Amino acid sequence: MINERAKHRSYLSFILPAFIIYAGIMVFPLVFSVGLSFTSWKGYGPIKFVGLDNYARLLTDPVFHIGFRNNILIVLISVFGQIPLGLLLAYMLHRRMVKGAEVFEMLIFLPITISSVIVAQLWNRVFAPVGILPTFIRQITGNPEYVMKIFENKDFAFVPIMFVLLWQHTSLYMIIFLANLQRIPNSVIEAAQLEGATEGLIFRRVIVPMLAPVIFINSILAISGSFKSFDLIYAMTGGGPAHYTEVMAVYMYNTTFVYQNYGYGSAIAIIIILFIVATIMLTKLVTKKLNAE
Amino acid sequence: MKRKAKLGVAPLGWRTSAYIIMILFTVITVFPLLWLGYSSLKPNAEIVMHPLALPEAPSFNNYVRAWDMGRLGMALENSLIYTCVATIGTVFLALAAAFGLAKFQFKSVKFFTWAFTVGLMLTVHAVIIPLFLLEVKTHLVNTRIGVILPYIAFDLPMSVLIALSFVRGIPDAIIESAEIDGAGYWQIFLKLIVPLSVPVIATMAILSFLQNWNEFMFVFIFTTKAALKSLPVAITQFAGRQNTEYGLQYASLVIGILPMILFYIFFHKQLVKGFGEGALKE
Repeated sequence: MINERAKHRSYLSFILPAFIIYAGIMVFPLVFSVGLSFTSWKGYGPIKFVGLDNYARLLTDPVFHIGFRNNILIVLISVFGQIPLGLLLAYMLHRRMVKGAEVFEMLIFLPITISSVIVAQLWNRVFAPVGILPTFIRQITGNPEYVMKIFENKDFAFVPIMFVLLWQHTSLYMIIFLANLQRIPNSVIEAAQLEGATEGLIFRRVIVPMLAPVIFINSILAISGSFKSFDLIYAMTGGGPAHYTEVMAVYMYNTTFVYQNYGYGSAIAIIIILFIVATIMLTKLVTKKLNAE
Repeated sequence: MKRKAKLGVAPLGWRTSAYIIMILFTVITVFPLLWLGYSSLKPNAEIVMHPLALPEAPSFNNYVRAWDMGRLGMALENSLIYTCVATIGTVFLALAAAFGLAKFQFKSVKFFTWAFTVGLMLTVHAVIIPLFLLEVKTHLVNTRIGVILPYIAFDLPMSVLIALSFVRGIPDAIIESAEIDGAGYWQIFLKLIVPLSVPVIATMAILSFLQNWNEFMFVFIFTTKAALKSLPVAITQFAGRQNTEYGLQYASLVIGILPMILFYIFFHKQLVKGFGEGALKE
């Protein structure tokens, strides 16, 4: 019995250091966050509870609506841009359709290591009046005055950001799909070819169905990741001009740390988390149902 | 042999499109980086006059000035301290926790495993506001430890789960025979588990190094002193201040990118493996 108690003590000595840091920094503040979201606290003075007022205000806040719309655009570019493109690239590399596949793979995967805020600034320089794109367009159109005005356009200001997101993350999905393609035995493709299936048919009817679970899980990761986008957009536009490129996390940051509105900022943070948790829960449910059938 | 070779080859149409897409993707990925690199060697006037041209007389002048003016040496040192301490801390704590969860049969194993799994869903935004207030209260704001602790906390859930699936695969017999020889559990951990776990230690270390090195929000919000800024934050703030000094902007961005390209070249294989396998675990 004493032996068992000593064993339990050693067991706790392995787990508790990690658990205490994790719980102290991630779990405990979360509870606090929920609490703050029911207050109108501005960083000083007594804390006043306002019930669900902050959440009600979110429903009619036009800036939050733009932020939410842009988050949805990120979801769309992830699920219908990064993932299909990543899958296509992976398949082309896997089937050795190009010579020097390793070199292409290595170069395309490179952006994964570069910090998002640096990526943002790199692309700001590319889009700037003395950057690659306007200079190039000036040279082919012969219009020496050309500068990019898309960032000032209410409806299209977010498009360049979506392009950069595609640039930054497509290769991640390419690598994930490549790893999974390598687990499919070659004989599967060979058998399909023997039966006279064309390449397009093999891709659509054999490869995509076999990778369906991986595609599904990556879509979920992409969706939940989309709701937390901050670094890239903050460094690229800060949500401006006039909130055109706002996303929920940037709005949360400005509300809280620039305007000191801790209560309202916390409510935005909780909504972001709820979206993420809901997406993951929904997935778990769907996966369970599918497995049960 | 002949039959196999013939079967392997994709039709011409696919191969042509593959070349077009691959080359396009590679150019869009690599050209902006190359352009930034060679433009950073040009004086400002040349950048404005001929934005796309190669430098006439390459010079490192922009680098010398950006390095001094942006105090980037100090930022590099901070980045190294934050990243290395947090990475070593994470790997050690995660491996220990994984050993506890994998090789002991107590009731609370289930609870702790569940708790770490939940952590995968939590993000910086969920806790940044109260954590900031907490750090202000405990005077951790504007200290290195105030950055390193959140780094470790946020790396832990993923690392614990990666380590857990590896340590579970280590045969119990090895541990049992050490127990019979009278070794304590910490001795078993340090002398047996750690050396056996080198492959998973490498994966965890590389993934958490990457995450910590590129982290932005914690340093940005939790430190106000210039002396505590990490490289990404210092470069963002420095480049943002250089209105039309394009050369300085470019040079500082290259200073931010170059270490990671070196890191990529050294650890490319492990990164591919780490990211590829990470998704398989789900």
